[in-house]
Amino acid sequence: MNANPIVSDETFSEKEEDSHVKIVNLQKVFPVSRATLFNKKIENYIALDGINLDIKKNTFVSLIGPSGCGKSTLLNLLAGLDSFTSGEIFIEGKHLTGPGPDRGVIFQNYALMPWLTAAGNIDYALETACPELSPSQRREKSRYFLNMVGLERSMDKFPRQISGGMKQRVAIARALSINPTMLLMDEPFGALDALTRSYLQEEVLKIWEKNRVTALLITHSIEEALLMSDKIVLMSSGPSANIADIIDVPLPRPRIRKIIEKNSLFIDIKLKLEEHLLRETRAVEESS
Amino acid sequence: MSAKFAVLRSFLVSGLSISLFCVVWELIANANVIPNFPGSLQTFGELIWWISDPFFDNGPNDLGIGFNLLISLRRVLIGYTLAMIVAIPVGLFVGVSKTVKSSVDPYVQLLKPVSPLAWLPIGLFVFRNSEITGIFVIFITSIWPTLINTSIGVQSVDSDVLKVARSLGASRSNTIIKVILPAVMPNILAGMRISMGTAWLVIVAAEMLLGTGIGYFIWNEWNNLYVANIFVAIIIIGITGFILDQLFEFLQLQFNYDS
Ligand SMILES: Nc1ncnc2c1ncn2[C@@H]1O[C@H](COP(=O)(O)OP(=O)(O)OP(=O)(O)O)[C@@H](O)[C@H]1O
Ligand SMILES: [Mg+2]
Repeated sequence: MNANPIVSDETFSEKEEDSHVKIVNLQKVFPVSRATLFNKKIENYIALDGINLDIKKNTFVSLIGPSGCGKSTLLNLLAGLDSFTSGEIFIEGKHLTGPGPDRGVIFQNYALMPWLTAAGNIDYALETACPELSPSQRREKSRYFLNMVGLERSMDKFPRQISGGMKQRVAIARALSINPTMLLMDEPFGALDALTRSYLQEEVLKIWEKNRVTALLITHSIEEALLMSDKIVLMSSGPSANIADIIDVPLPRPRIRKIIEKNSLFIDIKLKLEEHLLRETRAVEESS
Repeated sequence: MSAKFAVLRSFLVSGLSISLFCVVWELIANANVIPNFPGSLQTFGELIWWISDPFFDNGPNDLGIGFNLLISLRRVLIGYTLAMIVAIPVGLFVGVSKTVKSSVDPYVQLLKPVSPLAWLPIGLFVFRNSEITGIFVIFITSIWPTLINTSIGVQSVDSDVLKVARSLGASRSNTIIKVILPAVMPNILAGMRISMGTAWLVIVAAEMLLGTGIGYFIWNEWNNLYVANIFVAIIIIGITGFILDQLFEFLQLQFNYDS
């Protein structure tokens, strides 16, 4: 395998350019039952329509769009947690068939199991996703990943005993522990106070820059998207939401908030994004 | 300091209230409005007599109160345990599967409002045995609150936690055992507490018709027209029910995930 390091290096860099996720003409329709006084009828709500998206391996992509446009819906589809109506999704060239431990998910409200300690939550993930590990290997890994998010001293604490920021760090450690090739994050910092949020953003950025995987981040914050991503995907307002624009963020890494915030590119893209979001949000608010 | 003081204070107030109640009771009894109504002194005298020798056996109509209590507790415990063995898994499946819910719902909705005592003659007819009938009535009594609480609990499990389990590739059975069951433990225990409370209410009534047990003790003393002993039984039933309830409160505290 290592006989020719030059060749393997080349395949490696080629792989980096590979597509990890390819979405073709994706549509998602929710059946909505509307009960009136006399009858109940099923209507179709077209949440997503004609979504085409390519996510390159080991890149960081943010998804921004007006409230209710279907960001979470798209993330759930990628996680294999819901079925789509038509179109195609490829993960590493293969048709997506369902959920799998190659994708780690992180939700806004942490989704920790309150009856398990921080270490127990990670242990559950490992036990479920990697049944080949022995209990002692699992314990070691739990410790390693809690250490990574700076929680080694809270290993044996229950979720109720730790702060929101710490809970989300446990959730991040849990998502990373199963060694996913892709991270799916649905507003992971959305429930945190401003200071904790910016602290955790930088933490996640540092971890990701050290140990790159493909990452998809849903966010409402333009600054957050700019700080973290290689690409920002803008969604239009629903119903029948699709992708309005994809913006490259060629800011150098490793990124440091204080420095990149002064970069003129940062300011340009930020203005552009603000304009788009304002326009789409206006469309949502005025249609309802 | 102030916490200790508050406990002491509440004990003092409760004690005072009970003493006052007993004094008023004794006064009313002595006023002889209702002939032969036992006063508190007579009742507590009897209570001390019964609990100083709780385990004697002079035949079914003259049994120590300890034996009667144990007979009732045994019936409740057996019927209740059997009910839990059915109610918890069925409740879980009702919560998990729409099909199971639709097939079980009619029985639950129809039978839940029926007084469990209505099953007593059916039990006697089928089993031809008062002991098993008592257990059967308790079984029917205990099943509903736990079944309903469990199934409602399943429906309110955090959907994100379920998504995490699914995204990790957890199987359905793994999810039920490792995620849903612990998540609904608080609901199950709340249901079990209500079930136990109702079972303890119903056993007294059922035993009046069955013979032996603390309920029969009451019925027997009524036939003897010895009302003081009925009050003794009421006090003992109340204290036992209170202890059972406290047991569940303790268990619920162990499974309180929020604080
Ligand atoms: N299970 C469902 N059944 C019916 N409609 C649904 C369902 N899930 C989502 N929707 C609808 O689809 C649309 C997109 O929802 P989604 O949660 O994906 O939006 P979002 O972009 O994540 O919004 P937010 O920014 O508020 O998180 C919404 O209009 C929502 O009402
Ligand atoms: Mg959302």
